[in-house]
Amino acid sequence: MSFTNIEFLFFLPVVFLLYWLGPAKRVYQNFILLAASYLFYGSWHWQLLILIVAGTWLDYYVSRKFADESTDESKRKRLLVISLVFSLGCLGFFKYAGFFATAANDALQSIGIQNSLPVLKLILPLGISYWTLQRVGYVLDTYWRRIKPADSLLDFSLFVCFFGQVAAGPISRGSELLPQLQKARTLTPQWITAGCFAFLLGYTLKAFVGEILGESIVSRAFTSPELYSTLYLWLGVFAFAGQVFADFAGYSLMAIGTARVFAIELPQNFNAPFISRSLPELWRRWHITLNRWLFEYIFTPLTTSKGWFRSRMDLGLLIVFATSGLWHGAAWTYVCWGLMHALGMVVQRNWDVLYRSWCRRNRAFVTIRKSSVYSLVSWLLTLLFFVLTLVPFRAPDMQVAVNYFKGLFQSNGAEALAISPLVVLSFAFIVGMHLVEINPLHRLKDFYLKIPPLVRGFAYGLAVALLILIVPFSKGTFIYQQF
Amino acid sequence: MTENQKLRKVIIDWLDDNYHFGDAEGLIDGDDEKSFLQSGILDSLGFVSLVLFLENSCNVTIDRARLSPENFDSLGKIVRFVVPLPNYQIDPQVFGLVHE
Repeated sequence: MSFTNIEFLFFLPVVFLLYWLGPAKRVYQNFILLAASYLFYGSWHWQLLILIVAGTWLDYYVSRKFADESTDESKRKRLLVISLVFSLGCLGFFKYAGFFATAANDALQSIGIQNSLPVLKLILPLGISYWTLQRVGYVLDTYWRRIKPADSLLDFSLFVCFFGQVAAGPISRGSELLPQLQKARTLTPQWITAGCFAFLLGYTLKAFVGEILGESIVSRAFTSPELYSTLYLWLGVFAFAGQVFADFAGYSLMAIGTARVFAIELPQNFNAPFISRSLPELWRRWHITLNRWLFEYIFTPLTTSKGWFRSRMDLGLLIVFATSGLWHGAAWTYVCWGLMHALGMVVQRNWDVLYRSWCRRNRAFVTIRKSSVYSLVSWLLTLLFFVLTLVPFRAPDMQVAVNYFKGLFQSNGAEALAISPLVVLSFAFIVGMHLVEINPLHRLKDFYLKIPPLVRGFAYGLAVALLILIVPFSKGTFIYQQF
Repeated sequence: MTENQKLRKVIIDWLDDNYHFGDAEGLIDGDDEKSFLQSGILDSLGFVSLVLFLENSCNVTIDRARLSPENFDSLGKIVRFVVPLPNYQIDPQVFGLVHE
């Protein structure tokens, strides 16, 4: 079951009614949501539900022991290692065993040793990359005593497996989500309108914008790039930027909207990323919850440690983005994508350091930095770099990625891609979404949000009914769900 | 000037010198509790640079475990967190002239 399956259309209202019509007690509400979450997850592959439940119980036990005064430091460390080995071991086994075995076989083959390692073909547990990071973050936070451990297995199980986010995030911190689950929730019109708005916007992004760009432009351009001219290949890669944004920002909004109808707020995952004027800004706006996880639990501990890594920012960035690349998928194309971004961040950081030194010497550089021209050039370069890095991200293999890159600068292809009015509308939708985040158009959004919730709720209901009639359910899959 | 006010000035100077070139006070806009990360005053790289700078210039060790945005994400939180740390003392050389 997924947000765009017809089954979800029946599943959500049933859970909604059971949740709100029962007693307004934390235990009851969490029980309903947890049962629904296990049903949601089990509908995909019930055997692998055991994996998520086992990890939940282990981390619940470990985090309780961290807070136990009778647990000494060495035992706390041992428990932390057990938890991390289990969580990251499962992730590594299911997601990367095949990739590393293939890579090792290729390396051995190059020195004349044939097929020495078995390559396992495993089912990747749904959302494992997301709920593993969420659990690891929670375990580290409790180990470092940043947060108190959950005192109820029910609350913690729901924190790990809430059906709104189990498949593809957003990755929540314990400090964000657990306090909400540790008290009874109350239904208000604001929750419903805010939830419907987010779900509807997300669904529109996914079902219209993402599907149209994907089917009309992206899949054709990336299947046989040699058929298309340079201009169309540029259109293809920009369309993919739009598609992947629509797909994942759309999914995230649907997750946020689903949670809101149960009076739960999940963290924002996208914030108009295409208006970014630097790569660090882009990573504060794109897949926010993954990037903050990588910076909080890898980059900051490494670069502020007392050891050799201290202050080695460039190396820290390399590690973070290589990890990010591998996190996205067990393939060299993703590793390449991650390393391109690591390089981009290193160049950007060193440019900023250099530019700051110029600013100190001559205030004219400060004026240039604050000028519209500097902003415009920074924005263009950031967007262009990001879009170009999506070539290996989308290409099925490195050979296609290389061919696509070559075609962006010289191509003998003569076929055309159909730019229908719907394609133009899809691009316009994404541009519009970004424009309302920029002053003075931001006022439009403020004005809209002042309309009474009940009026907006009625309008959303009508829009949902229209969407159900128009948009075919079960169409396509979420790109980010496969990660 | 109290220690809190001194450290506040040092951080503002550092932000101006490294990121905002004279705009830091304006961005904070009188709200010392404004989130650095959410308002874009500081990104993750800047956050780490600030931690390293404070350790070097205030003679303190900041417990990595407590380096979360909840504890360390606004001017007010940082000042309240750093000033009471053991051995806290601002290096006189950085007071008034700050470089990364």
